[in-house]
Amino acid sequence: MKIVIELSVNGDSYEVAVEPQTTLTECLRDHLGLMGTKEACGTGECGSCTVWADGRPILSCLVLAADCQQMEITTIEGYPGHGTIKVLQQKFQEKGAVQCGFCTSGMILTSAALLKKNSRPTEDEIRKALEGNLCRCTGYNKIFQAVQAASEQLSGESVEEAAK
Amino acid sequence: MKELNYVGKSVLRKDGPDKVTGRALYTVDTRLPGMLVGRILRSPHPHARILNIETSLAERVSGVKAIITSQETLGVKHGFVETPRYPADQHCIAHDRVRFVGEEVAAVAATDEYAAEEALSLIKVDYEPLPAVFDPEEAMQPDAPEIHPSHPKVREPYHNIGGKTESGWGDLEKGFAESYLVVENRYESHLRTHGYLEPQATVASFEPEGKLNVWTSSQGPFIKRMKLAKTLGLPQSAVRVHKAYVGGAFGGKIDLFSHEYCAALLSMKCGRPVKIVASRPEMFAAYRHGQPMIVHLKTGVAKDGTLLAQEYRVINNCGAYRGSGVVVIFLAWGFAMLPYRVPNLSYEGYAVFTNNPVRAPQRGHGAPQVRFAVESQLDMIAEELGIDPIDIRLINSRQSGEVLPNGDNVHNCGLSDCIKMADEHTNFKSTYGKSRRVPDSKERYRRGIGIGVSSYFGGSLIYPNSSSVAVKMNDDGSATILTGAMDIGQGAETILCQIVAEEIKVPVNELQVIAADTETTPVDIGSWISGNAYVTGNAAREAGAEIRRKLLELASDKLEADIEDLVLEDKTAYVMGAPDVRVTYTELVAASISKHRGDPLIGEGHWRTMRDEPTHPSLATTKGRWSENYAFDAQVAEVEVDTETGVIRLLKAVTAHDCGFPINPMLVEGQIDGQVSMALGHAFMEEVLMKDGFTLNPTWLEYHMPCIHNVAVSEHLDVITESYEVGRPYRTKEVGEGYVSAILAAIGNAIYDAVGVRLDTTPFTPEKILKALGKIQ
Amino acid sequence: MRLPRFELKQPESLNDAAELLYRYGSSAGLAAGGTDLFPRLKYRLAAPDVVVSLRRIPVGQPVEDPEGYLIIDALMKLADMGRSEIIQRNAPLLVEAAHWIGSSQIRNMATLGGNVCLETRCMYFNQSHDFQFVEPCFKRGGDLCYLMPKGRKCWAVCMADTAPALVCLDARIELTNGDGTRRVPFADLFTGNSVKPIDVGPTDVVTRVLIPTSSAIRGWGFMKSSPRGGLEFATVNLAVLLEMLDDRETCSNARITVGAVSASPQRAHKAEELLKGQKLSTDLFVAAAQAAAEEIRPVPRPDYSRSYLKECVKILCRDSLTMARGKI
Repeated sequence: MKIVIELSVNGDSYEVAVEPQTTLTECLRDHLGLMGTKEACGTGECGSCTVWADGRPILSCLVLAADCQQMEITTIEGYPGHGTIKVLQQKFQEKGAVQCGFCTSGMILTSAALLKKNSRPTEDEIRKALEGNLCRCTGYNKIFQAVQAASEQLSGESVEEAAK
Repeated sequence: MKELNYVGKSVLRKDGPDKVTGRALYTVDTRLPGMLVGRILRSPHPHARILNIETSLAERVSGVKAIITSQETLGVKHGFVETPRYPADQHCIAHDRVRFVGEEVAAVAATDEYAAEEALSLIKVDYEPLPAVFDPEEAMQPDAPEIHPSHPKVREPYHNIGGKTESGWGDLEKGFAESYLVVENRYESHLRTHGYLEPQATVASFEPEGKLNVWTSSQGPFIKRMKLAKTLGLPQSAVRVHKAYVGGAFGGKIDLFSHEYCAALLSMKCGRPVKIVASRPEMFAAYRHGQPMIVHLKTGVAKDGTLLAQEYRVINNCGAYRGSGVVVIFLAWGFAMLPYRVPNLSYEGYAVFTNNPVRAPQRGHGAPQVRFAVESQLDMIAEELGIDPIDIRLINSRQSGEVLPNGDNVHNCGLSDCIKMADEHTNFKSTYGKSRRVPDSKERYRRGIGIGVSSYFGGSLIYPNSSSVAVKMNDDGSATILTGAMDIGQGAETILCQIVAEEIKVPVNELQVIAADTETTPVDIGSWISGNAYVTGNAAREAGAEIRRKLLELASDKLEADIEDLVLEDKTAYVMGAPDVRVTYTELVAASISKHRGDPLIGEGHWRTMRDEPTHPSLATTKGRWSENYAFDAQVAEVEVDTETGVIRLLKAVTAHDCGFPINPMLVEGQIDGQVSMALGHAFMEEVLMKDGFTLNPTWLEYHMPCIHNVAVSEHLDVITESYEVGRPYRTKEVGEGYVSAILAAIGNAIYDAVGVRLDTTPFTPEKILKALGKIQ
Repeated sequence: MRLPRFELKQPESLNDAAELLYRYGSSAGLAAGGTDLFPRLKYRLAAPDVVVSLRRIPVGQPVEDPEGYLIIDALMKLADMGRSEIIQRNAPLLVEAAHWIGSSQIRNMATLGGNVCLETRCMYFNQSHDFQFVEPCFKRGGDLCYLMPKGRKCWAVCMADTAPALVCLDARIELTNGDGTRRVPFADLFTGNSVKPIDVGPTDVVTRVLIPTSSAIRGWGFMKSSPRGGLEFATVNLAVLLEMLDDRETCSNARITVGAVSASPQRAHKAEELLKGQKLSTDLFVAAAQAAAEEIRPVPRPDYSRSYLKECVKILCRDSLTMARGKI
């Protein structure tokens, strides 16, 4: 039996008829056509499906769409020109942090949530934030560097300066 | 050397903008009107006879549109290898017998997942369980259950032999007799898997007029088309494999997979598009993994460390069908003989059938297993002889121009330089042995350093054997590249753009790529056998060169100058020394159209490795040429062992490598880092745990792929042995697979250096370390 | 992978939730964060007719009540606990344990109450059974154990990272159902039966977690050993709470609790006794750790032998004690 829910995604409001058990991933992809949110495991073990719920990264594969009605959902398709996301998108390319791309949406959203909260995270804070995002291609070094580079640009100081 | 504008530079990925914005569409993102969901019924037995399959109840489920079993197939088998010696041996859907847990027995297409799920639960299969065997050495015994009859050409009375590779040269007995020291060891590698993020997925849509359209997550569309056409009984013209982005493969998406066949056949049966996406547990428990291998190695050396004789006996746990199990025993020979000169060598490799899932290539395809054995043993020998690990490797290392026993030439070989640079960069000689010089150290954390050496081929002859590329220029001088190459994340499309840009001097951002579509792009070898940058790259260069030639001829007319005096630059031509007078490509294209009866400047290029070789080398005897490009590397690992918990950390990995000429250094770095990470997983934490053919850990929670906490500093030192010149063929070597091997061996050697414990099985788990240190029973 | 079909109830208050559970009983599944329930549903390990989602229920702020408890709403997200000054001050041990759970996304979703109620886990159980281990084991209502084929019971393990911390902190759990509200010592909730590891009935909702506040001089330690250091359940987890005399050197009371080794967290009583009344020292910690390793009885797993797990207990215990001393 379908239910009609109201969702706010990337600033747009939608009325969608979903089944009660429809996850947010399924709703975004199958109902709204927002394919940037990827599902690689479906059980919360890889972080590919990460989206923001009220600005905090969550796993859209483990949350019901019907439970997201009072939240503001942000996906990689995001607001055009969202500052933190945009900087990360650029840095991920410049630093070679993208290979196959399947983890990239989740990586960028998780990193962006971190930088939005804390524009100068420590190395440990970056690792702790990204521990739930698997990448099989890059070995993480360049992802780590991309997040650091974005942090520098967003906070306007280099790592060396910050250390002083 | 003339200045290069586009190759040799870290140009940003062409697909970067799509991937960072979520616009990149993968097979799992493909949606077609009226699309059905396909699901596969799998065997719950490791070995059983199928007595009967009853689908009538399932057919009555509302929403079910088609059900297929082997009855609906043409019975055409497929195999990773299909040669007279190794004919295809696997049904697309199990016929009368299942030989591994998870083997495909039936498939359903329905309007949604729930109908498909219900239908699967209502298909009744009567099985008669048969005795099963899982360990390859047990499977070889005469009283073992027979999975398939042993290969008729294998002389020994072993059971379940799927294939055998035999090779050798020199006089082994004489070599051992002359040796100052002979050592013999057994090494064992475990079962790992690729761990690509994007699930295995296929969308198939059969048009009533007879056309099958397929989107599938793969490493090359042309082999998929060939195998689908053959197994479905369709002409190749009726099968179109479309491009989709691919979310990682690492060898695991090459061959034909049952879900691809099932999606196609279901669509043919019900006339609607069908999508099958494998679940992660299915991929872990039923799909193809890498190859667990046992390597017996006996080595004889002279007093100065010169290798005199080696005897290899390799046993590969091949799984229930041949898969790539008969290829890996050939490749293991190659990885054994590549880096070092061994005058007397005997090799035999067995692929042994067991009731386990089928095997696929996995990045390195046999090299990590073999190099782990050879490099571990070489360090033992060096220690016994009192020689430094660096020196013993330098003594035996191949040199430029050497001819391999199969007749291949290694051409420019930078191996000795790699070893020397790795030594200098890491202070290896002065660091090595330091930790063990305090044997009774009470330090909890102990550090060690180790080195390994490896070599990898770049391109061989396997279907479709060659790559073609077409470049068509637009009338404003920008251009479009048509290539069958499949970008699986390594950056194939980007480097092809760089190569074409260099030939025709058009900026990379004015080049478009149409790729990996069997209908609209020329044939391509695919993103495997590590030959893309060389084979497809040279085809792209040839295609660009043809346009370059035409541009120069036209400019020569316009500027009234000799071709040799002309310079092409940024979509213009001018006479050397007179850059102020230029003719634009727009003008040259217009000139071509009027002068050459409408030719808008289209270039085509083709490349085949080892162009005079009729076919691939013999998998049975290793005779015949294998490759004409060999990459070499020396890798150093620095590890820290927690002697109390047994946990080992890889602190730093240094890769000194000769990859020929790096077209895009940033992409090369990406390959190095990714391989170090994969080797780290191999070394410490990844293992597919199996019991009696069942997978115990079919999830990423329990199959521990490295996460961002498990990162080593990765440094690289480039030994550039090749150069790139516009208009000339180049030799670039492989960079995507070779560096998972030496670093694994180096880690093993570094652990020994740290704590004096040598492990001969992977992975190097804390439990094994503590046992070896005598801390636990 | 899809969730199975179910009816969804989204109560807006705890009373409504309790009422729904009363109505639907064991045919209902309770989802707070969903990170434990939904993977199990996707693997078809459970098939509730109704899912009662608690996401609409407002989450109360943590408070110190006059009776001497820090009271934490069970629906509090794990990530929020570290942001709460009042929890940080009263139960830093709990904050530390929560910090090591899952991943950052999971900590943004999962709740404290969910971790308290975490189902026991076993490799043979926590996977899809479409074609693997099809015959149900004890945990799936069947009559066999794949892990210990000769055993006559389930050996699944409680992996909750907060469990050892809550035992050390002597936490009480507040349960609400149609009949009212009761408070149970957390340690007493555990049944020792892996099939039904905690004594929370089908109509019970864990509403609050109460932690006795203390003015004693304390030191605490928590450690979790795991293959990667993140995004996984523990090989072994271990919490330590030391209470000290005024000299800040002599231990007056000690609690050591080991988790992820069996159906319930295990107290290392002998090790605790060794510490009581003694001046802290490295030698003492080594002796206590040895005692803990001897008395704790871990369930061996496919990837870890009993002796390795005991060794882990020993090292974690000693290191957690050292950590605790540093925090006195």
